[in-house]
Amino acid sequence: MDFNRSDLQRMLHDSAERFVNEHYSLEHRRSLRAVQDGLDTAGWETFAELGWLAILVPEELGGLSGCMADVSTLAEVLGSRCVTDPFISSGVIAPTILSGASTSQEDLLGEIVGGTARVALAHDEPNERYAYSQPRATMLAASGDGYTLSGQKMMVLDAPSATHVIVTATGPSGAALVLIPMDAAGITTDAYALYDGSRAADIHFDGTSVAAEAVLADGDAASALLSLALDRARVTALAQAVGSMEAELDICSAYLKEREQFGQPIGKFQSLQHIMAEMFVETHQARSILYYALSRLDGGYSPDECAKAVSLAALRVSQAAQLVSRQAIQLHGGYGVTDEYEVSHHYRRQFILEKTLGDMDYFTRRLSSL
Amino acid sequence: MDFHQDPAIEEFRNMVRCVIAEELPAEMAERQKAHGGTNSVVADTLAWTGKMNARGWSVPHWPVEHGGTGWSAMQNYVFMAECSSAFAPEVCWGATHMCGPVIYTFGSEELKERFLPDFREGKYYICQGFSEPSNGSDLARLRTRAERKGDKYVVNGQKIWTSCAHESEWGFFLVRTNPDVKPQAGISFLMIKMDTPGVTVRQIPMINGDAELCEVFLDNVEVPAENLIGEEGMGWTYAKFLLDHERTTSSFIFQNKREFARAQRLALRETIDGTPIAHTAQFQQRMARIEAELTALEWSVLRELANEDFKYDRTAAASTLKVAGSQLQQTISELQMDILGSKATRFYPYPQKDREDAGPLWPDDLGGRTAQALIARASTIYGGTLQVQKGIIAKLAFGL
Ligand SMILES: Cc1cc2nc3c(=O)[nH]c(=O)nc-3n(C[C@H](O)[C@H](O)[C@H](O)COP(=O)(O)OP(=O)(O)OC[C@H]3O[C@@H](n4cnc5c(N)ncnc54)[C@H](O)[C@@H]3O)c2cc1C
Repeated sequence: MDFNRSDLQRMLHDSAERFVNEHYSLEHRRSLRAVQDGLDTAGWETFAELGWLAILVPEELGGLSGCMADVSTLAEVLGSRCVTDPFISSGVIAPTILSGASTSQEDLLGEIVGGTARVALAHDEPNERYAYSQPRATMLAASGDGYTLSGQKMMVLDAPSATHVIVTATGPSGAALVLIPMDAAGITTDAYALYDGSRAADIHFDGTSVAAEAVLADGDAASALLSLALDRARVTALAQAVGSMEAELDICSAYLKEREQFGQPIGKFQSLQHIMAEMFVETHQARSILYYALSRLDGGYSPDECAKAVSLAALRVSQAAQLVSRQAIQLHGGYGVTDEYEVSHHYRRQFILEKTLGDMDYFTRRLSSL
Repeated sequence: MDFHQDPAIEEFRNMVRCVIAEELPAEMAERQKAHGGTNSVVADTLAWTGKMNARGWSVPHWPVEHGGTGWSAMQNYVFMAECSSAFAPEVCWGATHMCGPVIYTFGSEELKERFLPDFREGKYYICQGFSEPSNGSDLARLRTRAERKGDKYVVNGQKIWTSCAHESEWGFFLVRTNPDVKPQAGISFLMIKMDTPGVTVRQIPMINGDAELCEVFLDNVEVPAENLIGEEGMGWTYAKFLLDHERTTSSFIFQNKREFARAQRLALRETIDGTPIAHTAQFQQRMARIEAELTALEWSVLRELANEDFKYDRTAAASTLKVAGSQLQQTISELQMDILGSKATRFYPYPQKDREDAGPLWPDDLGGRTAQALIARASTIYGGTLQVQKGIIAKLAFGL
């Protein structure tokens, strides 16, 4: 075993760190709230230029054929600055589904890699905390040469800046994954922000017409592809959370040395030293279980083994993220709950990462169903 | 020991409940319900105080000669519990529970006449200017300087975390009048009108999209010397009196009970594979434990109200309520977040009075929940941080 980064991963890490530190200042991120669809256009161009959107695209389709450990290397850096650009949707979920689709999606993958297309996944539906085991109520019905799509999707992450959306539906042969351009007729969207500044939308499909080749997968193949994409997405979110926690360790330890009360740096108080030490232990454990999950996803394990690893990792990382992000605020006193200090942004980012693709209760259930 | 509640208390509760039902306008209660925080829309606070004052109930806990009702501690408790569960607006704590008691205990007759009627009527909001950028937990070393010049004080310095300063007509401030004595001895308690030239207020954007906390800059602010409360140099003593005065409120028992009840309602509505969350084993266990903690907290408050003989320093009991109550606020808001799952991540513009309708797909009791959960992180920070409270317990209960 070798837990050190490969040369390529080190290069990826260093260039990511350089760009992210320089580009994603707190002020810049706060200014993005005023952007209509939340997308940092200049930032996204650089995502494409640096090849980040090609990592999971196979070489034969114009990508880098990278692995989840590569994705994680990058995602940790994104997490360290609470970057909310739609990397999970367009850099992880979309390449996974599109490169495994039964119809060739080479052109769209090319546009994604080039930064001109962005793809969101519409999976969750009304009246559910998360998409548990129910079949999707969104229906794909045969119609002429193609199909029509009808139903309501909720909380489609990154939809406001997306050019396309992949929709989960129930079709003539069971589960189906369908590709729809966002400007197709028969779509109504209601966009909003989440607490970390990222964007989502509720999307209504009202008999939207779907060409036969826009059905990316159906039946068991669709379910398998969706699971793989979601598990990869979850691990990417976990990597971001780990990056965020590690950044908080730096921020907080520096603050404890700098902030003085009662005539001494507050880091001299043993109660705060112990909090800091506990944050360190949690973060360490989080990175360890992240590696365990990566080893399963990259190691050719069965979907069930991957699901188990991802669920365990999600439980452990979430627990760590809660403790670390809460204590980071506590250590900052009043400053911690303002929008003007980094720790409140990490708190919100970790809250969203923990709650969007399944939460601790969700993963507990999933584990017991495996 | 006698654990029986005086039966007259239940009659009193019913009477209070009827009065509140009569007085509380539905839309005011709705706003408070959506907001659900430890403070309210300022206009509602003032209007509600005015309504209660018309009944003689706006400051029930004050001595009768200053407008109190003469109710027992238990009656006051019941009154506040009923107000809270009916979603009445919060009162202006700074006026009714902090500055008011300091003025009627230590202030001159002139100051009493000037301020106490206004506080009772809810004529305006007032803010608390204690904390400074460099002095939060270590308040005694505060630096804002007030120099006596003839019949005025000239005040220079900066305050921070001054809740609602931007909506306040007056503030009660701790200022340093004597830099040459030990820190606690050089502090005075001064009333400053917020529109005095030289006072600048900046609202601080917060974690939940709100901006109720402020920075207050004081630049050569001239304050009439008669605005000094009590004696010069006694400010620290008065501040300690004020913080000790209301031992049980730091438990946030009413808010905790109300928000737990809200969590129970949300858990009946949100479902997992068709089963209400409230009926799933995971949440049942978790909610049972929280309910046990909440019940313990309520009985801790009752022990304090009944003035139990206590083996330890009483301040340690007050800190106990704060330690348990502040963490319970966080536990309950985290519970609400976990019940809502991904729905909790949606941003709702703040304050709720202006919030847009999220549409039929989104339950209308959602707005405000995450905003409150985020700011609940502050409950272990304000009014003495969790670490400082634990330090107080170690020292006062055990001499450590
Ligand atoms: C929502 C909110 C509302 C507020 N409203 C008001 C208001 O209206 N008026 C007002 O005057 N103030 C108000 N405050 C200020 C509040 O009282 C201070 O934030 C608090 O006293 C902590 O001070 P600080 O923020 O400077 O943190 P610091 O004192 O800098 O604390 C930073 C960290 O050091 C720790 N620490 C400090 N000293 C010790 C010690 N001796 N041992 C161990 N750990 C220690 C703290 O626990 C904390 O974790 C408010 C604060 C908040 C968050």
